[in-house]
Amino acid sequence: MTPDCERADRNDAVRGAAGDWQRAGVIDEATRQAIEATVPDDRVRVGPVFRVLLFIFTVIAVSTGFWFLSMFLGLLHSENGAVFPGFALVTGVVLALVTDFQIVHRRRSEGGTEAATSLLAIGYLLAAAAWWLFERMDFDLRHGLPVLCLAAAVLAAIAAWRWGYPLYAGAAAGAVLIALAQWPFGRLLWIALPLAAAPFLLRLSESSRLPPSHRTSWTLVLGVALAGLYVAVHLGSWEEQLVEEIGQARMLQPPRSDSLWWLSMAATALVPVILLALGIRGRGRRYPLLILGAGTAVTSLITLRWYVHLAPLWVVVTVSGTLLVGLVLGLRRWLDAGPSRERGGFTAEPLFQDLARLRLLEMGAAVLAFSPESRSLHEEPKFEGGGGQFGGGGSNSEF
Amino acid sequence: MNPDVVKAIPELVRGGVLPPTKAPVLLRVARGELLSVHGELRALLYAGVLLLTGGVGLLVKENLDRIGPLTIAVGIGLAAAAALAWVIAKAPPFSWGPVPSPNLAFDYMLLLGVLLAGADLAYIEVTFTPLGAHWAWHLLIMALLTGLAAFRFDSRVVFSLSLSTFAAWRGVSVAFFGATLLNEESAVRWNAIGCGVLFVVCGWVLARTGRKAHFEPVAANLGWLLVLGGIGSGMLASGNAGLAWSGALLLVGAGLAAGAFRARRFPLFAYGVLAAYAGLSYLVVDGLDLEMMGCFWFSITSLLLILGLLFAQRRMRILS
Repeated sequence: MTPDCERADRNDAVRGAAGDWQRAGVIDEATRQAIEATVPDDRVRVGPVFRVLLFIFTVIAVSTGFWFLSMFLGLLHSENGAVFPGFALVTGVVLALVTDFQIVHRRRSEGGTEAATSLLAIGYLLAAAAWWLFERMDFDLRHGLPVLCLAAAVLAAIAAWRWGYPLYAGAAAGAVLIALAQWPFGRLLWIALPLAAAPFLLRLSESSRLPPSHRTSWTLVLGVALAGLYVAVHLGSWEEQLVEEIGQARMLQPPRSDSLWWLSMAATALVPVILLALGIRGRGRRYPLLILGAGTAVTSLITLRWYVHLAPLWVVVTVSGTLLVGLVLGLRRWLDAGPSRERGGFTAEPLFQDLARLRLLEMGAAVLAFSPESRSLHEEPKFEGGGGQFGGGGSNSEF
Repeated sequence: MNPDVVKAIPELVRGGVLPPTKAPVLLRVARGELLSVHGELRALLYAGVLLLTGGVGLLVKENLDRIGPLTIAVGIGLAAAAALAWVIAKAPPFSWGPVPSPNLAFDYMLLLGVLLAGADLAYIEVTFTPLGAHWAWHLLIMALLTGLAAFRFDSRVVFSLSLSTFAAWRGVSVAFFGATLLNEESAVRWNAIGCGVLFVVCGWVLARTGRKAHFEPVAANLGWLLVLGGIGSGMLASGNAGLAWSGALLLVGAGLAAGAFRARRFPLFAYGVLAAYAGLSYLVVDGLDLEMMGCFWFSITSLLLILGLLFAQRRMRILS
């Protein structure tokens, strides 16, 4: 990121916080405006709806433009097979330059078009690289894929660093993991590298020397690395040889009595506990670790049910739901009863969370999850049961 | 943790921009020393309701023969009644305006009660068939009861379920926001359009009368999605019918985009733009016999649309 972009990124973080404070009623409109005046925004931004539309139409315009020119210039049927991939390479380079021009010179941020061109630039460059690997170098998938993944990781990492898109950093970390899976001892690398890198990644994700976008990028890299670590030690992944499957190096399934099986079982149970403990430990709460810890804890509990059948599925699901509701209500009461309605640095008060957005998400999820099946205009009703299918504020002929 | 905000707060206090009394709590949050888990608790409650309703569904499926239909119907009914009784006991007085939830669990207990009641009603109808040949009316009954609950307890989530249950009664699935309409037949298409228009009008009346006006966006969004989805599904018809539907989609989409732009209703504006573009493109591309010309059309029109959107956005900024 250029110094200008960095400054804009830092200012945007403060402006965003001021907006949250005003929404929560901590400051008034005048104070927010005064804060915004001290951290001016020199970027050209658009709202979320325009951003989505501009992104969609930029992707359509560039992609169809590429195919039109390919057909118009006869590149698809060229005798020299390198012409079409060469055109993809040139398009990728041009799109990267266009992205840079928009972000650095036109000062666009959250504008939709620059995000679309950056994504397409990576896509076209990777397509050219894939052609070069598999057609020109004649690599097979097993040997070509790690190289392609590493190329994707490098491109995505550069895009994240230069243009400040954290998602690319996460994608780069994912691509590195896939590449590592192809190597000998891939599973070991999935465990060792995240373990070795985690302290540094955690420090980078909180470093005040980095702009917010880069901090978020490192947070995502940390998240992907730790998710990879959990997958590598997970009992189910060990039994199913998931990492080896990704790396196309599936070995014989180890016997259950193998000490590694017991180690994997212990790690499946311990990783969530360690992540949660690290998230809570210290003065500052580490939200990404807490979320990862909670997510892996749920996965480990589901894994437990897979191996240990304590009760029929309906009992497990219903009791889990009841316990979850009880746990949340208990936790809420416990937090509310603490001094200033907080305990150990946690509060159930909304503080600066955007409740309107949260409710919108809930509504969308409710329509998706609970909308009843429509009645068929021709069929007779029938009962099928099936957990969760009976949906809605409504009911349904299929229950 | 947000180091930039941590750094900015003392500077803002020193500059007299931020009152010093506000700084300590803001600093604690920015440093990560105080973390709100409000949203996370809500998400977990939601997951709890999902698990509970899913568990009840599995119970019925796996134990239908063993438990017996009457026990199941009574059991689910009692569970629904218990949840709704709790909601009634805790509910604040009715108001036509927005009413804050009395506690975190309120919305979710209401949702649980409504879902269990809906499940019970469906089960009773399927097992004991009290409505006979008019079995589908239980969906309408449930839509009306859910709507009443939504108004009484001021829940937009339950209101959206009421609308989707009503649409289900008319044979229209709102799951995936109308996208499933694309493979539907003519009768369902007209039902979808009818339901959509009804929802939009319902929203308009709510906003106009100021009675639960905050429910209007739910009705308007769902309504327009059904209208556009219904019209859009007609484009798959062969021959002139397909062209007529695409023309209709172009007109309705353009009208919606223009109206939404003036009213600053951005999601509706997006629906309108996408629908109008799809309608126009179908009309034009259908007449082209070359793949290359199709690519040319999409490329040029997308570019023009990008310019138009940038212009519209700039104009909106100037006007506001």
